[in-house]
Amino acid sequence: MSVTRSFKATDLFKFNHINLDLWTETYAISFYLSYLSRWPDMCAVQETPQGRMMGYVIGKAEGTGTERHGHVTALSVAPEYRRLGVSRRFMAWLEKVSDENYRGLFVDLYVRCVNFAAIKMYEGMGYSVYRRVREYYSNLGLGHSVRDEEDGFDMRKPLPRDPMRRSVRSNGRDIVVSANEVP
Amino acid sequence: MDRQIRPIYEALDTNSNKSAILACNKVLKKQPNNLLVKALKALALVRSQKVEEALVLCDEVLAAKPADEATLAAMMHVLRGLGRHMDMVTMYDDAYKQQPANEELGTQTFFANVRIGNWKAAQQIATKMHKQFQDEHYLYWNVMSALLQAKDPNTPETLRPVLLKLAQRLVSQSPTPSYYNADRFHLHVTVLKELGLYDEAYELIESEAGKIICSQFLMCEELRREIWKLKGLTKEAGERAEQQILEVKDRNWLEFLAVLDATFADLTVEGADVESAKGSSSERITQTRELFGKVVEQDGVKDRSGHLALLELEKRCRHHGLATDSTTLTSLLESYFQHFGGKACCFEDLKPYIELEGEDLATWTSVLEKQTAQATSVPDLWRFINAQKLLRYNLTEAQLTPEAETQRAVQCLNAYLEGLHLGKDLPSYELQPADDLAVLAAQIFVNIWKRTGDQTPLYNAAALLEYATTKSKMSYQIRLHLIRIYRLLGLPSLALEHYRGINVKQVQNDTLSHFLLSRASTFSLAATGDITYTNECMETSRIYVSNSEETSEFIVRAFGGEKYSQIPDFILFEECLDNSLQRDLIKMEHVRMRIAHEAINSELVDMELIELKFIFDRLHHDNRDFSILANYQPRCGASFIDQTESLEKTPGFGWLWVFLKIYIKAFQLASDLDDTVEDKLLIGDRPKPSNDPETKLPLKERLTKRKQEEINELSSDEAAFYDYASALSEWLTPYHDYARPPPSVVLAEAAKLTEQKTGHTLKGLELPPDAATNGNGKKDEEPPAVVEPPASISKHFDDVLQRFKEVLDGKAVPFELLHVVTLAQEAYLLFAIETTRFKTASVIKQNKFGGLSQHIKDIRNKSTAVINEMSGALLNRAESEATQESRKAVIEACKPIIHESGLDHDFVLNVAKKITDARKQIYDGIGKGMAKLAKTYA
Ligand SMILES: CC(C)(COP(=O)(O)OP(=O)(O)OC[C@H]1O[C@@H](n2cnc3c(N)ncnc32)[C@H](O)[C@@H]1OP(=O)(O)O)[C@@H](O)C(=O)NCCC(=O)NCCS
Repeated sequence: MSVTRSFKATDLFKFNHINLDLWTETYAISFYLSYLSRWPDMCAVQETPQGRMMGYVIGKAEGTGTERHGHVTALSVAPEYRRLGVSRRFMAWLEKVSDENYRGLFVDLYVRCVNFAAIKMYEGMGYSVYRRVREYYSNLGLGHSVRDEEDGFDMRKPLPRDPMRRSVRSNGRDIVVSANEVP
Repeated sequence: MDRQIRPIYEALDTNSNKSAILACNKVLKKQPNNLLVKALKALALVRSQKVEEALVLCDEVLAAKPADEATLAAMMHVLRGLGRHMDMVTMYDDAYKQQPANEELGTQTFFANVRIGNWKAAQQIATKMHKQFQDEHYLYWNVMSALLQAKDPNTPETLRPVLLKLAQRLVSQSPTPSYYNADRFHLHVTVLKELGLYDEAYELIESEAGKIICSQFLMCEELRREIWKLKGLTKEAGERAEQQILEVKDRNWLEFLAVLDATFADLTVEGADVESAKGSSSERITQTRELFGKVVEQDGVKDRSGHLALLELEKRCRHHGLATDSTTLTSLLESYFQHFGGKACCFEDLKPYIELEGEDLATWTSVLEKQTAQATSVPDLWRFINAQKLLRYNLTEAQLTPEAETQRAVQCLNAYLEGLHLGKDLPSYELQPADDLAVLAAQIFVNIWKRTGDQTPLYNAAALLEYATTKSKMSYQIRLHLIRIYRLLGLPSLALEHYRGINVKQVQNDTLSHFLLSRASTFSLAATGDITYTNECMETSRIYVSNSEETSEFIVRAFGGEKYSQIPDFILFEECLDNSLQRDLIKMEHVRMRIAHEAINSELVDMELIELKFIFDRLHHDNRDFSILANYQPRCGASFIDQTESLEKTPGFGWLWVFLKIYIKAFQLASDLDDTVEDKLLIGDRPKPSNDPETKLPLKERLTKRKQEEINELSSDEAAFYDYASALSEWLTPYHDYARPPPSVVLAEAAKLTEQKTGHTLKGLELPPDAATNGNGKKDEEPPAVVEPPASISKHFDDVLQRFKEVLDGKAVPFELLHVVTLAQEAYLLFAIETTRFKTASVIKQNKFGGLSQHIKDIRNKSTAVINEMSGALLNRAESEATQESRKAVIEACKPIIHESGLDHDFVLNVAKKITDARKQIYDGIGKGMAKLAKTYA
């Protein structure tokens, strides 16, 4: 339960409790504004009845032909609002927009190989690993193996326009590419 | 040609500005009038911070009215780097006039106006472009510019409807209907909304195409809701929402609110017959209760909307006197708690519904008290945590005795330590589920301090939070609590350590830096040469530069990509950051630190004077994030953030205004610049003053205005400082005004300096032929007679010394001691700023100010003695800080929280060491800094 609304530039003043989180990056202003100035329909916020931000999602649409898809660039929910289905709602919404507004065939995202909670969640929602991307992230120094900490999974979920599930594969975890091979 | 130019671009691309300049010089030797190369050289100069030289070239290029795209593009960067957006507009205007068929030039001219928010000109250009190039998007640029002009505070009231009607007419001329593009559609509906044409807007939205757009684009859906509201369709919205809830299983809270609003619609219409409205509402209430009941049943623990909606329904029933069963509310609360007490959001969810009394409160309390601390799962633990927060919220004054509070704190701490077992396998970068119990315990300790004045509970809070942060390294909440407490305890180095631990980045510098930098000059050791806090101010302020360099580019891009829905918010964002209150609070702190660190000369004084005057014309926005700090204090008392505010006064608009007045006045006295000189020396655009009518008054009048609401934001010591500063400047003003060299002399001096530096004369400067020789020459008027200084100036230092002795021996928190001391130092420095002019023997002699000189000397001697005395006492105090006794005292204070293992004696000893060392460091540093300043300015 929440109020879902579009992400606004001035929300950058109000997202601290969401962003002061290990897995969540606070980017330069230009990052957020460049998304909002291109894909405002793929950025959303959920807030409490009292108007406090619970979480947000920032996405984009890219690719052409069979590669046309939606992409989740950032998804984060403040700790106090986790496990309430906030992300589930964001992802369902973003999938709908990718399908209806952009005629995408799938939705994809990157996630750190050591972000187990997020990976588990995405898997529960029908996403699967498409490939492992070497050194996609900077090291956080969490004490895992350097590989696992710096690598990311590219995860995908096919949309109704890909009924044959051509955009995914079952052995994705074994397919390793380097960061400069991905967009 | 290309062969010569390419290396310049290559050098610029790689930021090798030096070689770019060399390459330019090579070309310019042969072709001294090559505009492009001049522009590129100006760019390289700007980037190497050689502003004066760049200005000369820049003016030459502009004077030649360039019209080729390469030169224009280079100049755009130059002008942006110099902050001369007005010139950019003129430059493109001229170029476009020369080549009216050049679409790209038209576009750039439009954008140049967009960057400075010049909507009127933008609108005219868009009109012209649409006529000439026929592309539809120019029509929409026109509409958007007209709308923005209509909303601009500078636009006269009468012109607004005219502009909106123009916008409406333009949209209706569009060959393709607006609904082909969501953002055009959004703009169209917005224009109708602004005109109050709700029926037309409604029609558009409810059209076949409109409905589809609203279902696909959130921003259009939001507009739809607004239009329905404006049209008064409360009941229809309720019916629609009911369908959404039942059929689509929409759990958007707005749908539930729509149902609730419809339920009570009859009662909220003005002039309704209350009795009959109550009747019809009662019926609806029953239906609504059924609807929400169904949701509760369907959703179980999956979603909490149904439960919260029932609570909201009951709250509104009570409000309208329509509640039928007095036990409903508490049983709904209980039911919610049973279902969602294991979630972190429970406390926040229920807070609006638990302001209970009497029987209700007793029932509710007994429900919560059943919750025991024995937790075998994380949801169990959360139920206990939530119960403690909810119970605490309703505690009464009488229940808050130090004994009872200590017991509660210890209970929370024990449960916390117990609860750590549940998270013992979590990696240290994960949050511990028990964290909030540590936070609760800390807040309870702070409450005890606040109520008794005894500082020992603060040490308990600090030590247990230090422990909690070792268990939950990523918890910003624990660190923010530590920062608040360490500031009170006068431990800036420890506050800084935890602030860095939070890793504040980018725009967060604006919203969160107040935690560290509010009144930061209290903690600055700049006088000793330690500029840690000064640097922190500089680093933090970088975000404002990014904003002014980058944000307007995205407004331009939003026009380019036709994302009209984003433009008003981008503009607002840019403005909130540009005119951020925190930005200028930091600036003020930086000035206060700077004068203790640097020599007070004309360079410092002139520069700060100009900058502070700009700030004085702003209308500020407060973007500071206070809500991030949790509050678990009972509703009968102050919140945690208020309790831990230094001196219980948060610097805000009024505080800033007072300090601006103090320093602008002081720097004005010390400076030789007057307005005419300042204009000549200014490089970038003069910022537009805000629309506050106050900014239209003469500066002199504004500076002397004293407003009670501003003074209310000051601590008593700051208020005394303000009085002192006012008396001092009032006394000295006539002597400064008389002794200050005339503008022509000042300008001649500035011109000489520029020429020495750049080899060029100052732009647009025409000196009267005799200016340079005029000197401090004879004046027509007699010098003002020297009068005795008001007694309050000298007495201020007596009072300050008295205050110092009180706080040194009393129960005040160390912050207060540092506050008194650093304000005394500031008074001393202010005196130095305002009397430097009279240190020069020739000034005294020429103006016959011998008497003045003696008065100044008397006050200086007196204040120097006071500063030295305070410094000595503080250094003594520092000696007694990092000793075994002082550490023991901290450990003794922490007895209630010391446990056998983990949070044990050794852990607390370490904390005690850190605390006492840091205390010694700050007392020592401030004491030494004062002694140094007393030597410099004696
Ligand atoms: C990962 C994250 C986005 C989940 O958000 P959320 O709103 O709590 O997720 P939801 O409540 O919608 O969870 C949906 C389902 O995902 C699964 N899930 C979510 N978080 C989980 C966790 N920590 N462990 C195991 N499963 C989890 C569950 O199956 C859950 O359903 P359930 O609660 O009914 O069991 C949130 O924890 C977060 O913001 N983390 C930090 C930022 C981040 O990692 N972002 C992802 C980067 S790509």
